[in-house]
Formats: sequence, C-alpha cells, structure tokens
Amino acid sequence: MDNTVEKQENIRKGWDGISRFFRANSIWMLMYCTGCCAIELPQAMTSRYDMERLGMGPMATPRQADVLLITGYLSLKTLRRIIYAYEQMSTPKYLVAFGPCTLNGGIYYDSHAVINRLDQYLPIDVYIAGCMPKPEAVMNGFNDLIGMIKRKEANGWKKYEQNKDWYRKNQIQALGELRIKDEFHE
Amino acid sequence: MITGILTGFGILLFAFVWQTSLDGINRKIVGRFQKRIGPKWYQQFRDIFKALSKTGVTHGWVFDFGVMMALGGIMATVMFLPVVGYSAFPGMDNFFIFVYLLAVGMLGMAMSSVGSGNPLAGIGVMRALTQMVGYEVPFMIVILGIIFGHNTSSLSELAAIQQASGIMTWNLVKMPIGTVVAYISLLGMLGKKPFETFIAPAEIASGPMVEYGGKQLGMLMIMHEFATFIEVTLFVTLFLGGATTLFGFIAKYFVVYILASLISNALARFKIDQVIKFYYKVPITLAIVQALMVVFLGWGV
Amino acid sequence: MDFILSVPAIVVGLFAAAVLAYLLTKANKILGALITVLGSGAALAAMLMLKGDINSVQSLGALGFKLTDYGWFFSVLMLLIFFSVSFFNLYWMKKIIHPAAYNFLYLVALAGTVGAFTAKDFIGLFIFWETIVWASMFIIPFGKSRNASVVYYAFSAFGSLSMLFGILYLYSKTGSFDIQYVLEQASMNTTYALVAFITIGIAGLVKIGVFPFHLWLPKAHGNAPDTFSPILSGGLVKAGGFAAFLAVIVMPSYKVFASNALFLGRELAMPVPNYILVFLGAVSIVVGTLMAIKSEDFKKLIAYSSVANGGYIIIGIAIADSLSVGGAFMHMFAHALASAAAFLSAAAVVHRTGTTKMSELGGLIHRMPLTYLVYLIAIISMAGIPPMSGFISKWMLFQSMIGKGMVFTAAAAFFGSIGSFLYVFRPLSAVFLGQLSPKHESVKEAPFLMQVPMIGLSLLTLLFGVFPNIVLRFISDILKTAGLDGLTLNGLVISGTNGQLNPSLVSLIFGIGFFIALIIFIIHPKSRKVDLMDTYTASEFIYTPELLHYSYAFYAPFERLYENAPSTEKWYAALIKKIEEAGQLVSYTFFNNKPRIIVFWMVCAVIALLWGGSL
Repeated sequence: MDNTVEKQENIRKGWDGISRFFRANSIWMLMYCTGCCAIELPQAMTSRYDMERLGMGPMATPRQADVLLITGYLSLKTLRRIIYAYEQMSTPKYLVAFGPCTLNGGIYYDSHAVINRLDQYLPIDVYIAGCMPKPEAVMNGFNDLIGMIKRKEANGWKKYEQNKDWYRKNQIQALGELRIKDEFHE
Repeated sequence: MITGILTGFGILLFAFVWQTSLDGINRKIVGRFQKRIGPKWYQQFRDIFKALSKTGVTHGWVFDFGVMMALGGIMATVMFLPVVGYSAFPGMDNFFIFVYLLAVGMLGMAMSSVGSGNPLAGIGVMRALTQMVGYEVPFMIVILGIIFGHNTSSLSELAAIQQASGIMTWNLVKMPIGTVVAYISLLGMLGKKPFETFIAPAEIASGPMVEYGGKQLGMLMIMHEFATFIEVTLFVTLFLGGATTLFGFIAKYFVVYILASLISNALARFKIDQVIKFYYKVPITLAIVQALMVVFLGWGV
Repeated sequence: MDFILSVPAIVVGLFAAAVLAYLLTKANKILGALITVLGSGAALAAMLMLKGDINSVQSLGALGFKLTDYGWFFSVLMLLIFFSVSFFNLYWMKKIIHPAAYNFLYLVALAGTVGAFTAKDFIGLFIFWETIVWASMFIIPFGKSRNASVVYYAFSAFGSLSMLFGILYLYSKTGSFDIQYVLEQASMNTTYALVAFITIGIAGLVKIGVFPFHLWLPKAHGNAPDTFSPILSGGLVKAGGFAAFLAVIVMPSYKVFASNALFLGRELAMPVPNYILVFLGAVSIVVGTLMAIKSEDFKKLIAYSSVANGGYIIIGIAIADSLSVGGAFMHMFAHALASAAAFLSAAAVVHRTGTTKMSELGGLIHRMPLTYLVYLIAIISMAGIPPMSGFISKWMLFQSMIGKGMVFTAAAAFFGSIGSFLYVFRPLSAVFLGQLSPKHESVKEAPFLMQVPMIGLSLLTLLFGVFPNIVLRFISDILKTAGLDGLTLNGLVISGTNGQLNPSLVSLIFGIGFFIALIIFIIHPKSRKVDLMDTYTASEFIYTPELLHYSYAFYAPFERLYENAPSTEKWYAALIKKIEEAGQLVSYTFFNNKPRIIVFWMVCAVIALLWGGSL
C-alpha cells in the first residue's frame, strides 16, 4: 500500500519537473494596467527588448494567463477587481508587482483611497523596483521569475490557498466587503 | 484496415510535429519582420504542454465534452488526409468528408465555449459561423469547378492528375482565378487578418477561447494546429498539385502558410459585416466566373 | 391474401381507432391518448409486416389500394413519426382545449396519410389527401393561433384544387382514375403530361412548402400544438415529396419533356420544367436559410429550416438521376427523423418551461441533459455532418449536382448547407447552453415516456448515419421500379458519380479520434469546477444571469445585411389586401341593401337562365 503511494508520489514529482520546464519557458501575462508602470511594458514587449524570446506573451483573459502583472498603485476599487481576476486564474499562477506603490504605497502612501502594502491582500512572487522600473529592470524581474519557477520557489499561489483565511480577513478589513453589488445593472 | 488506421496515426503524428514546429518558425519569422529576435522554434510545443499541465476550470460536462468532440473530430479528419502519397484509406479521401468532418470539430468547440456561459464566447462563435458562411461558399464553388473538370472528388486522385506533367497541370496554372479565390478563403479559414474577427483579443477577449485555461486550452491549441494542417494541406493538394516527396510537400506547405501569415501581419481587421460583404462581392463573383469557365468553356480541365 | 393484414384494414382500423379514441377521451383523457399510441404503433407494426406484399392490390368498396414500394416507404416513415410523437399526446391532454377532438383528428390524419400513399386511384388519393388537410386544419388552431389555420388552409386549398383540376382533366381525356394507367397515358402526350406535371407538381410544392408557397410552414408549424408540429414538419410535409415524385419520376416527365431540354449535349442537360423545379428549390433553400437565421422563436426556426430542406428534396427529385432521387429519398428520411426529434425536444422544453422564445430560455443543459443530446443529434443530422444520416443524403445530392456542373444551384445548396450551421446552432446556444435563468432553476428533465420516442429517433438517426445502406438498398429498389438506375452500393460503401463514401469508416475513425481525445483529457490534471456565473467579465461584478446570456438577435450583424430584402410575406399581404378590396367591390355590387339593384341582377339572372343558350 505504502509502496504504491510512494510510487505515485514519484511519478507526480517526475511530471512536476517536466511541467516546470514548460511553465518556466512559456509565461503568458495578464496585464492589469493600474498605474504609470504600465508604460514600461510596451518597450519590454517590442523590438528593443523582445519579451517573446523568453516565451512570454500577452493574453486576453485571466483563465489563459500564468502571471498577473500589477503595474503600480492600487485603489480600493481596483483591488476588489484584482482579487476577482487573480482568483479566476488557472493554477499555477504568479503575481509580479511593479514599483514602490505596491510595496509601501510609494508617493501615494498617505492617500485614503489607495492601499499601501499589496502583499497583505495577495501573495506576490516578484517585486520590480523603480519608479517607474526601466525596461531593463522589467526584463530582469521576469528573468528572476523564470529562475524561481525553475527552482520551485514561485509558490505564491500555494501560500494564498494555505493562508486564505488570513488574506480574506485583510481583504475584508480594507474593503468592507469583497464583492460589491452589480453597480451598473441594479 | 489496421494498417490504414496505423497510417492514419502516422499522418496524425507528422501533422502535429510539422505544423507545431512551423508555427514556432512562423513566430520567429514574424519576430524578425518586426526587428525582434522572436521565440525558439519549439516555443509552440512549450506553450501547448504548459497549458496541458495546468489546472484549469470547468463549467460543467458540456465544457469538457465539447473539447473532446472538437479534438476528436479534427483528428479523425486529419487521418483521412492523403499526405505525400500516403493515404490511410485510399479512395475514401472524398473532399466533402473534409468539409463536413471538420465541421464536427468546429461544432464541438462552439458548443463547449458557449457552454461556459460567457457572452463573449457566444459573440465569438456567432462571428466565426458568420465568417464561415462568407468564405466557405466561394471556396466550394471553386472546388465544384475542380471536381467537375477532373471528374473525381478524391484528393489523392486530384493530386495525381495534377502531377501528370509538372507545373503546367497544376490547378494554380489552369485555374488561376479559382486559386486566388481559394487563397482568400484560406485566409478566412485560418483566421488570419483581415479575417480575424472571431478571435479579436482586444475586442471580445479572444472570443470562443475566453474561458479556457489548463488542459482544455491545451487541447484546443492542438486542435488549432490540426485544423491549420488540414486547411493548408487541402490548398496544397487541390491547387499546387500535392506532392510526391516529403521535401516538396514541406516546401509548398511552408510557402502557403508563411505567405498567409505575412499577409496577416500587414493588414488590419475587418468588422464581421465587412467580411461578409467582401466575400459576397469579390471572391464569390470570381468563383462563379471560374466555375462557369470550367463547366461551359471547358477551360482548365 | 387475407383482409386482416392488408392496407385497407390498416386504414379502416385507424378510422375505427379514431372513433374509439374520441369516445374514450370523453371518459378518460389519458386512456384516449393511449389509444393514439397503440393505434399508430399497431399500424406501424402491420405496415412493416406488409413488406412482403408490395405490389398487391386490394379494394374497399369503390376505393382501390395498391401498395407500391415507394408508397410503403412513405407510409412506414409517416407511421414511425406519428407513433413517436403519439407518446407526447399523453402529456398534452391537459394543455389542449378539446382533447377528444385532438385524439380523433390525430388518428384520422394518420389514416389519411396511409390512404393517400397507398391509393390506387386518383380519386382515392384526392379524398385521403383532403382528409389530411382537413384533419390538420382543425388541429392547428388548438395551438396558439387561429390565423395560422386560415393561412394553412388557404395554401393547401390552392394545392388541392390544382390537383383536383388535374385529376378531372386527365379523367376527361383518358377515362380512368387509375394512377398508373393515367400517368402512362399522360406520358404519351406532351399536353396531358404538362397539365399533370403542373397540377400535381403544384400540389406537391405547396405541401412541401417550397418557395413561393413556403409561408404556411412557419405559421402552421410555429403555432400548431407542440405535439403536432413534429407531425407537420417530419411527416405531412413529406407528402409533398410524394406528389413531386409522382409528377416527375413515376410519370416520368423528365423523359416526356426530354426533347426540349436546355443545354443539350452537356452534363447539365435537363428539361425546362425540371429546371423550374430546381430553381424554386434553390430559392427556397436560400430563403428558408435566411429566414431561419432571423427567427427568434424556437419552433419557427425549425419550420423555416424545413423550407430549406424541402428545397433540397425538390432539387433532388427534379434533377432526376438515380443518385439525386436516391439522395432526395434519403433526405426525406433523414430530415423526417431529425426534424421530428428537434420539434420533440422543443416540445419537451415547452412542457417544462412554457415558452419557445429563445431569448427567455438558456442553460437548460444543466437541467435537461437528455433533451439537449436529442436536439444535438437532430441538428448534426440537419446540418449534414457525419456520423448522422443527414450527411449521407447531402453527400449524394452534392455528388449529383457537381457531377452535372450546376454552378448556381450548387452555390445555393452550399449556402444552405453552411447557413444551416448558423441556424441550428442558435437554439443550441440560446436554449440549452449559456446562463441558466433563475426562473428555470427548478426545471426538471422531460418525463420518461417523452424520453422514449426522443431517444428512439436519435438512435435511428445515428444508426442510418453509420449504416445507411440498410435504407439505401430499399431506395435503390424503388429507383429501379421507377425506371431509373439503382444506386451503386457495395457492402458499406456508397459510390457516387465522382467519389465514394464509407460512412461506417468515417464513424469508426471519428470514434477513434474521440477516444484519443478522451485519453488526452483523462491523463491531465483534473479541472476545478466553477459556477456558471464565475466567468470572465473583465473583473466586473455582475450577478444577473440574464445579462450574461447572449441570445437575442444572435446574428444581428448578418441579419442587418438583408433586412431590406424583398419579402414574400409583404407580397402576400398586398395580395390579400387586393382580394379583400375585390370582395368588397363584389359585395357592394351584388349584396347591398338597395332593392332595385338586387331586382336588376335578378332580372339579369332570369334572362341568362331563360335564354342563356342562345346568348
């Protein structure tokens, strides 16, 4: 009995290794262009830095995407929607945060409408520094993410599932309620 | 029978490996045209297997069943294709089987995506079907001319007739108008711009694909590769004389596919009613002219 | 040959069962409905047993019956459809205003159908033909609209009177009512043949609903009781195919008019009358397809699709070579099964939800999966996709059209065939897929006895899609007796003019492909089940399922392209207006309350009566 369980575990690990190779080299992004850092993405995508050589590309919906890019400050209204989008993504999923606004509020640190620390609400795998981060920094951040996926360190989504209560508590504390009424249709 | 099915599996494997590699090469070529380096040639394999290895969502049984029906139907269609003289079921490679068996796959995909309950998928399917009415009718009229002229609808026989004396017996030379129409229809079939309306990622969030992630997405990507293989191979077999050697097939296929992709990268997207209006003005008129030439004047037989 | 098991016995038995059903329904509604099930079932069994007696002749008083092979084919098809649908009667007794009359007329219509297909004389054919028309005319207003019945009767009367004129004309010339004899005599003389062709042809065209007589189909099918729509579309409409077959093939007009064929010496040489039929068929394919794409009502949509499919049947018969006529027969068979199944699934949806408006439904697959599957199989067949029987007939028709090089007809047929993907997908997406409306949250699957005929029809569609040669062999015999070449059937393979088809192989390979896909699906990680409302909305919060259901004006961009096209409906409306005006004129002239005018006309009438001969 134990033997079969062990065997299955080994097979699972083997598959995991193979899939990590694919995942590391094919990262599809969902860009949530909340703030000014979004302007650095086009340079990273087009001919100067060419993100596609790393196997990265833009995708249309959270279901298809592997990584959610949060480019800049987050107001409370946006945070709700980011959480919704993040929860819709297929696992494994990663989250990359741009600029200081996601780390400590940046220049909006004292605004009543903006959250200061994103990692209270969602698990972040990679931060990219700079206000705004230069395309080199963006590419460097993505390289870091690839390395982390290869080394099995990009486990934000697992952390989120394990500590969901804690995250949920923080989210509700900040937002009042997580999902709001359908404001256009009621 | 068993050998036939095994040959079919061989064609299936070849189709997958070749078309998926070519898709990667195509991305590389497009990258170079945009002064980028572009991905590795095997990037498409990595994308597909990555998608398969993820844990996606399902919206109920029809969401999964439709995906299986789509991939199954398309794989069955590929197994009937004659490639480089290899045909799994000689004599049974009737043109209509391809048109209608392909439709099983399309129906499966449409069913599955609308089954997700997302209205964007519904809009995407609506556009895909509307576009199908546009490109399929001129294409079929041209094929009518070919079948009438050569008096057979078997693809391998049509290829053999064209191979009789070099390039002069190709339908490309004999029916140039028809070839142009069929190529425009091919662009619509492949969903290349300007006929990319039903995917339109920036407009309806990739249409039918909107809810897919994980293995369903992976299977639909495989299906897309197979569908592309069928459509391009049909064009190569019907107009470029098929091929007797593997190299000839690959070369013709490469030219047809890459040209479509380059056209796609130079043009913008039509609206869906513009697509229909376009197809029912220019290509359908040319197609009827071509067919009448074959039927009444005997040109191009 | 004994009388117990013979065609007259079936017809008489059905009439007797009709009376019995009427009386029993007065006592107990369910019992009366049960009689329709048993009566049609027994008649079907008897007819199947009569297969050995083909070409036997019997008489019942003045009426003669002759069981021809095509008559047997049509009768079995009709009985099958009536039998399948009769199960639904059990559940409809409460919904119909006059259940006793409904059950009575249901069996009378069936008796009329069997009689019409097996009549030996034209007079018998006409009587039974009228029985069908009258029976269904009284059933249709039990549904939603009385007006539908008027429209139906107006069109049918035109067809019937045209046939009556033809019958009497031929009787005055040949002195006989016997179908075989009269048609033989008619084929010797071009004038007689032309009259027979036009009059009987018009009766057929009206019945099958070919353009410009297509308007009654959506009206009658869309508004008839939900249990009678499948009968109309799957069954009675095919009687038009029977009449067209009589006029074109049995007579045979294609030989009579062969001398004035167009395009002589080419593959597409065909007599002018046949060309007219082909043209009407092609137009009705296009019109039916475009109107079906536009429909917002589930049943009207399937009715318009019947118009388009009627076009295929007429084209097949009019081309008049063995492949096309065989294709037309196969198409009648496949479409009867498929459209009956589609209408039955619509009836099941109505039974549970009470509406046929597609924009009010949605997501029913999660509540009625079996009804969904039945509809799916039906539309796969209607759209002509393998492995269903509709594919076989379309393949044969296309083979024939392309073999002849009929560019424009084939273009219309291709348009109809691809267009059918559009309209058959519409109910699939709007009724069964998409978001489940909260008001249909508690809907249940159709009851068991409704599932039985639906599953039966689906299985038959699948069976004859995989092994069509079971039917095609019999059709081939029909063609041989009608003087055409038989079909080239070889084991499981069908050969056409320019290719061959092995439907079983296609189905097998499709099965293998599906199996591989299933394996790929199973070995990969299991998906997470989410709710239907948990979809991508660009992260907007929407909690109203109706807002996320795309169903109204589904093909709006496409519809916009032909919204200003000329409409037959308006033409008929204008015609009706003119007739009304003429009627007013007549009534003002003859039937007003001014005594002197009435006296004037009376004097005129007396003069005419007295000296009429010498005037």
